[in-house]
Amino acid sequence: MRALGPGSLSSFLKIILDVVYVCLWVGVCGVGIGILVALLFSFDPTFMGHIHLDSEDGDLTGKGPLLAWVLFCAGAYLGIILAIVQRLRKVFVTLTAGDPFHPDNVTRLRLIGLLLGGLEISRYVFQAASRFLDQDHDGRGFSLTAWFAVLVVLVMSEVFREGARLRREAELTI
Amino acid sequence: MSIRVHLDRVLLERRMSLTELSDRVGVTLANLSILKTGKARAIRFTTLDLLCRELNCQPGDLLVFDASPDDGDDEGIEA
Repeated sequence: MRALGPGSLSSFLKIILDVVYVCLWVGVCGVGIGILVALLFSFDPTFMGHIHLDSEDGDLTGKGPLLAWVLFCAGAYLGIILAIVQRLRKVFVTLTAGDPFHPDNVTRLRLIGLLLGGLEISRYVFQAASRFLDQDHDGRGFSLTAWFAVLVVLVMSEVFREGARLRREAELTI
Repeated sequence: MSIRVHLDRVLLERRMSLTELSDRVGVTLANLSILKTGKARAIRFTTLDLLCRELNCQPGDLLVFDASPDDGDDEGIEA
């Protein structure tokens, strides 16, 4: 199976990314609605008084601000993933068109690398905050794989920069 | 870049248009235009061979080294 061009593996992956992109948008909208609902409950617990939410830890309506904060963090996390998938989709559009060394792919890949790094750092911050609030919280620690992926993507962006330069040179060779 | 292409001058001397040269050597008009306007970064020996053959000239008639201070445009070769 071909890797580039129409009807290739790239176009198949592009379709998968399109589906993921739509799902992420639905997720972000859902989280946004969840934040609004949580804030409504936090400002006015008697709002929609006939609704009473309970969890294992007790009354949920009293934990509106905390819930809103957690949902905000989840929304931000989803937003970063959405931005990464959006850039990836654009990269795969160029791959499907058979033009991998498009100059814009350099910026896209570098941004993906930086966003992946930001995602990892935000995970550490969120885990530290969770540990501060809940002493028993046991999250995933430093991930060598994640940072390796960040570095690989950043190096790949530089490889694409060189590819774009060579493509430009080839275009201007008569 | 200090290499200048004098394709327009050679064409004028031969009273030949760029379109006619394009038809004769089999290089697209767009590529010859890039060469003529000085935007080209490189020229293949095969292209140079075709141009010299059709224009009945030497490579030195088409390409000239000009050591005068650069115009700041290192994107291409000035025609």
